[in-house]
Amino acid sequence: MTRFVPGCPGVSRRAFLRTLAGAAGFAALEKIWAATPQSSLYPFEEVPAEISRIAWVHTAGKSPAKYLPETTGAGCAFLDYDNDGWMDIYLVNSGKCDFYDPNPPLRNALYRNNRDGTFTDVTEKASVGAGGYGQGVAVGDYDGDGFPDIYVTQYGRSILYHNNGDGTFTDVTEKAGVAAPGWSSSAVWFDYDNDGRLDLFVCQFVEFSKSKNLPCVTYNNRPGYCVPRFYEPTASWLFHNNGDGTFADVSRSSGIAAHLGKAWGVVAADLNNDGRMDLFVANDTSPNFLFMNRGNGKFEEVGALAGVAFSQTGRARSGMGVDAADFNQDGWLDLFVANIDHEMSSLYINNHDETFDDDAASTGIAVATRLMSGWGVKFFDYDNDGNLDLILADGNPDDQIETIEKDVTYREPMLLFHGDGKLLRNVSAESGPLFSKHISARGLAIGDFDNDGAVDVLVSINDAAPLLLRNTAARGNHWLGVRLVGKQSNRDAIGARLTWRSGDLQRSRTKVGGGSYLSSHDPRLVLGIGERSRIDWLEVKWPQPGGGTERFAAPPIDRYIAIVEGEGVRTM
Amino acid sequence: MTPHRGLIGLVLFLSAGSILSPAQNSGKTDSQLAKVAQDAASQAESGHCSQALPILAKASGHLTNGELKKRVELDGVRCATLLQSWSQLTDFVRALQRDFPRDPEALYTAVHVYSDLSTHAAEELARAAPTSIPALELDAEANEVQGRWDAAEKDYRTILKTNPRYPGIHFRLARLLLSRPNPGSDFQQQARNELQEELDIDPSNAGAEYVSGELASQMQDLPAAVEHFAKAKTLDPNFGDAYLGLGMALLSEKKYEDAIAPLEMAVRLEPGNPAGHYNLATAYARTGRKEAAEREFALQQQTTQHDDGQGGTSPQ
Repeated sequence: MTRFVPGCPGVSRRAFLRTLAGAAGFAALEKIWAATPQSSLYPFEEVPAEISRIAWVHTAGKSPAKYLPETTGAGCAFLDYDNDGWMDIYLVNSGKCDFYDPNPPLRNALYRNNRDGTFTDVTEKASVGAGGYGQGVAVGDYDGDGFPDIYVTQYGRSILYHNNGDGTFTDVTEKAGVAAPGWSSSAVWFDYDNDGRLDLFVCQFVEFSKSKNLPCVTYNNRPGYCVPRFYEPTASWLFHNNGDGTFADVSRSSGIAAHLGKAWGVVAADLNNDGRMDLFVANDTSPNFLFMNRGNGKFEEVGALAGVAFSQTGRARSGMGVDAADFNQDGWLDLFVANIDHEMSSLYINNHDETFDDDAASTGIAVATRLMSGWGVKFFDYDNDGNLDLILADGNPDDQIETIEKDVTYREPMLLFHGDGKLLRNVSAESGPLFSKHISARGLAIGDFDNDGAVDVLVSINDAAPLLLRNTAARGNHWLGVRLVGKQSNRDAIGARLTWRSGDLQRSRTKVGGGSYLSSHDPRLVLGIGERSRIDWLEVKWPQPGGGTERFAAPPIDRYIAIVEGEGVRTM
Repeated sequence: MTPHRGLIGLVLFLSAGSILSPAQNSGKTDSQLAKVAQDAASQAESGHCSQALPILAKASGHLTNGELKKRVELDGVRCATLLQSWSQLTDFVRALQRDFPRDPEALYTAVHVYSDLSTHAAEELARAAPTSIPALELDAEANEVQGRWDAAEKDYRTILKTNPRYPGIHFRLARLLLSRPNPGSDFQQQARNELQEELDIDPSNAGAEYVSGELASQMQDLPAAVEHFAKAKTLDPNFGDAYLGLGMALLSEKKYEDAIAPLEMAVRLEPGNPAGHYNLATAYARTGRKEAAEREFALQQQTTQHDDGQGGTSPQ
C-alpha cells in the first residue's frame, strides 16, 4: 500500500519506516511486516508477544481467600518517557502487601519502544519496578521539565516516580507527600486551580485490609469475591502541586473528602465550560460523583442533581471505567461510564446546564453492554474519519459468575463502536476474532506506538499477558497528530481544545485528564479528516492560566507536529 | 400396620372422641386432653397416620400448651399429606400460620404444603382436562419458569389455534419474547405486535398497555410510550408503575413540568420504590425546585438502602 508521508510525497510507508529504522532495525521490521497483513480485513490486529517482545505477564496472586484486589487490577500506559517521539509502555503488576507475598517478587514493567515494532524491558535501569500490590498508573509532567513522570497507584501506598530525563526515575513519594495510603485505584493529573501546574487526584476504592476481608460465598456456597457493597466507602485524595516538588493534601479543604465513595475511574474535564477543570468519578455500588470546580480551590458534588449519579431507576450502579469527550460535537463534553453486567453502560449527554441525560439506549450503547462488565474505555477516532468512536474492555470481576448468571461469562470480549457523530454502532461482530476473544480485560490505554497516525490500543488483562492491538483501520484516511506543549498553561496542556476545519468537515477535540480505568494514554491527539487532502486551519484554545486561542492556517497532514503555547508549530 | 397397633389406634380414637366431643368435654381436664394429643402425635410420628389424623384434627383446636399444639399441627400436616387428605391439610396449615405466624418451622412447612397442593392441583388438571386451555396455560407457565422458551411458545400458539381471541395469551407471548435470552433481532417489534393483538381483544388490559409503554420507551418511541402509559393509568388508576413510566417518558422528552404530576402520583402509590423518588427529584431539580429535589433524593436513598438485596456473592 502506498501511503503519503510528509516530506516524502509518494513514498510508501514501508520505505519510510525502512529509512527510519536503518539497517539494524530492518530485520525486525521485515518480521513485523511478514506477520502483518498489508490490507487487513479488520480494524485491529493483535501484536503477539513474540513480535513485540513484551514478555511481561500480570499476576493477580489469586488465593482461596479471594481478596478483592486480586480481581480488580491492573492498569497500563502509553508514555514517551525518553522523549524520542515514540510511545513506550508501562504495565502494572501485583506485588507484596498484607495478603500477598510473591516469591520471586513481582514487578511492574517499563518497555522502551525500539521504533521497529519491538520493545525492550528497561524497568531495572529506569528503577520503576514498584513492587507493592499495584493497581493503576497516571502519567504527567508535574514539574514541567519536559519529561513525563509516573504515578503508580497501589493497594497500600502509591508511588510517584520523578523522571530524571536520562532514562532513570527516582521515587519521590515521601518528599512529594503523595503516598495516598489506602486502596488507590485510578489517578489523574490536572490543573484544578489554573496555576499552570499539574495537581493530582487519586481515587480510593473501599476500606480494606487483610483483616477486613469478608469471606463471601456464591449462592452455591463456593468462595467468591465479595460484591463491593459490603465494604465501607472511603474518601479520595486531592493533592495540590506546590511547584517545588511537594504537594499539599487539599482533600478536606477542597470538599472532596466530604464525600465517601468507592471510586474506580476518574476523568478531569471542564464540563460546564467555565474554564475550570471538573472531576467525574465512577463509584462501584455507590452513587457516582460529579465534582464541579467552583474556583478558590472548592469543589461541589452535584452528581445526583446533574443526573449522573444513579441509574434511571434511582439505584447506584457499579461504575468502573469513565471517559469524557464531545461525542456529539456541540461544544460541551459528554460522559461515559462503564458499568457491570445487567446495568448497562451510560452515555451522558451534556445539557449545557450542569445536567446530563443518559442516552445509552438511543445511541446503541445500552443493548450492546447489557450483559457486559466494562472497565477500560476510551473515545477516539480509530479510523480517522473525524468522528469519535469508542472502545470498551470487558470482563466480569467475579470468577464464579457463570454459576450465578446463565447469560454472563467471566471472560468477555471487547466491544468496538463506530461513531457517526450521533449514534454509536456496535461493530464488534464485524471486527474480527479479536472482538470475540474472551478475556479478563481491565485497563485500556490508547496510543500510536508505530507513529503511523492510526491510534493503537493496549489492554491489560487480569492475571495474564497484556494485549497490544495495532490499528489498521485508519489506513487510507488522512490525519494530523498534535502534541501540545503548555508554557503558561500546564505543560501537558490538559484541558486544551483543538478545533480543525477540512473542507466540509469541522471538528473539535478536547484533551481531557485521565479517562479509562487505571490507565494513561498517549499525550498526543490525532485529528482525522477522512479522505480530504488538507486541513484549512487548526485552532488551539489553551487551558487557563494561558487561556489564549491560536489559529494555524494549512498545517501539514499525515505527520506529527508539536504546538508550543505562544511559540507556534514545531516539527517532530 | 400390625393388628395390635390398629386396635390401639381404634381405642385411642374412641377415647378421644369422648374426651373431645363438645357435649362431653366439660368433664375432662387439660391434662387428659394433652395426654390423648401426645399419644396421637407419637402414633403419627411412628407412621400410623390413619389412626392418628382424626384425633390430631380434633385436638389441635383445644390445646393450650403451645409446644404440644405446634407438634400436633405439624404432625397433622405430615399425616394429611401422607393420606392425601387435602381438606384437612389446608386446615392444619392454616392453623399453624394462625397459631405460629413467625415461627420458622411453621413457615417452612407452609411453603412445602402450598407447593404440594399446587402440584396436586396441577396433576388433577392434567388428568381431568389435559388438552384444555387452562392445562396448556399451566404447562406454558411451567415451561417459562424452567427456561424452556420454545415449548412455552408452542403451548401458547396451540391455545390461540383453539381460540384466537382467548384473553391474555398474546400478552404472555409478548412477555415471553421479552424474557427469553438471545431473542431474534426484531423481538421488540414482535412483542409490540403481540401486545397490540392483546389490546384488540381486550382493550381494558392495563398490563398490556403498560408493557407496550415500556417497549416503546426502550425503542425510543417516546410519544408512543407516553400514550401507552397514560392509557394504562386511566384503565387502572392504582397502577403505580404506569404513573412512573409516564413520568419517566416525559422526563426523557425533557417535559419536566409535565412529568411532575404523574411522578407525584407514583410516589404516593408506591412510596417504597426508589425509582419514583429519583425521577421526581430529577423533575423537581430541572424545574428549579431544588429543596423539593433534595427531599426526594433523600427519600430515594432511604428506600434504596431499605430494599438493597444481597445479589451476587455475599458474605457468609
